[in-house]
Amino acid sequence: MQTAHHMLRTGRRGTLYEFSMALRDLRASGAQFGLAWALAWADVVARYRGSILGPFWLTLSMGLMVGGIGLLYGQLFKIPLNEFMPFVALGIVFFGAVTTTINEGCDTFTRAAGMLSQTSLPMFTFVWRTVLRNLITVAHHLVIVVCVLIWYGYWRNLNLPLAAAGLILVTINTAWISMLVAIASARFRDIPPIVGSVTQFAMFLTPVFWMPSSFPSRHAFLALNPFFHMLQAIRAPLLGQAVDPLTWVVLICLAIVGWAVTFSVFALTRRRIVHYL
Amino acid sequence: MTSLPVSITVTDLTMRFPVYGVDAKSLKKHLARVAVGGRLGDPGARTTEVTAISHLNLKLEAGDRLGLIGHNGSGKTTLLRALSGAYEPDLGTIEVEGRIAALLDLGLGIDPSATGIDNIRLRGRIAGLTAREIEAKMDEIAEFTGLGPFLAMPMKTYSAGMQARLAFAVATSVEADVLLMDEWIAVGDAQFQKLAHKRLLDLVERAGILVLASHEADLLRLYCNKVMRMDGGVASPVVDIRKLDELLAG
Repeated sequence: MQTAHHMLRTGRRGTLYEFSMALRDLRASGAQFGLAWALAWADVVARYRGSILGPFWLTLSMGLMVGGIGLLYGQLFKIPLNEFMPFVALGIVFFGAVTTTINEGCDTFTRAAGMLSQTSLPMFTFVWRTVLRNLITVAHHLVIVVCVLIWYGYWRNLNLPLAAAGLILVTINTAWISMLVAIASARFRDIPPIVGSVTQFAMFLTPVFWMPSSFPSRHAFLALNPFFHMLQAIRAPLLGQAVDPLTWVVLICLAIVGWAVTFSVFALTRRRIVHYL
Repeated sequence: MTSLPVSITVTDLTMRFPVYGVDAKSLKKHLARVAVGGRLGDPGARTTEVTAISHLNLKLEAGDRLGLIGHNGSGKTTLLRALSGAYEPDLGTIEVEGRIAALLDLGLGIDPSATGIDNIRLRGRIAGLTAREIEAKMDEIAEFTGLGPFLAMPMKTYSAGMQARLAFAVATSVEADVLLMDEWIAVGDAQFQKLAHKRLLDLVERAGILVLASHEADLLRLYCNKVMRMDGGVASPVVDIRKLDELLAG
């Protein structure tokens, strides 16, 4: 039985107490990780119930987009297809995963209003639910990645462990952004459209469709773009390229600072979140 | 079965609800307020707050079946939600010993397009059961719902009463020590009411606590041995159920 036998709820007892309660919420969500997984899985199943291809519909449309953009932009930029196609495929799949996790983060808490207002489930559970749901979706899109990497022969010199490490680091970063916008969106209903436009804008600023080699290495335009580093940490090792150490430094620092900020915001607003909804 | 003590202790509980109106939720207005300055540290200018419960004290022990009465908006549901652990008090403490099952909303975690079986699984997970525990109890839950072949049908084809059966069956399968219920027990036909009644009495016999909010005096007499009246967030003393009429009149 996972339900706790003892429950204590009190009024405010100072900032330190709020942080310890937030930590307790985090620990409880870890103990009930299976619930987050069950909710995420149910979300995916519910979204595609009754359709034959299920989540692969999304994979199919993404595959068509990759093919179309790869052919068109490859021509426009005069880049050989065997170089550009894998680049665009990985870009669209992984950048798409990051932005969808952030965009869907906006309704992490608003969607769970019913559960949050009558159970003592940890709030972090719902953050993991959003992240896991998107990990499940991206797992389907890996079909595209695998096909492209095999077709163009990149499987020979890809660095899988490094790409996996990159994926983990990117997931950690995406999770805090997703949680931060979840709290903000619960409080201010203007946040979701803002987040939507920011992520869309970021897609054009980030080398998803265009090659970063158009700029000198570590150009401010790239170095200051966190999305570039997120994408590069996964894409470069899969394409058999070296990852700039700067990318790792940026992602690790971003994870630490981001989680510190997000956790503090959560600790201070935790009591109120259920009332925002 | 459980040797651990079961109790609810509420001391000096005050719950305030900040009302985030259309104004407060708009980011522009909020930013404008910050830009104008001088209002951040001013507690008087903060969002309006409604006091839902003020200075409530309550002590319940194993075997207590408390009925909550009071007008709409008197704080009954807020108290139940606070006892479920969803709301954090503004003042005072709530301490609950025992596993809590809150049956406040029939629609909780229900996916209308999923089948009854799938909904039992998901709702069971939300209620705190593991996947394995649910599979072990599945037959028993399915039987209790009395829905038979309908369990393989999408939940959206169910009537309110059928939904109530399913929700009640799952929620009470958790072997909770503390059961929190809001009104809707009255849903369902006579046959279901009888089953539900038996199950509730079972629970109380297992040394549990029941807190039931209702407007129906008969229902309260049936299930409760104590009663408390809420009035504008202020609670009356807990009295014996036999004094229900006096409490209703007062």
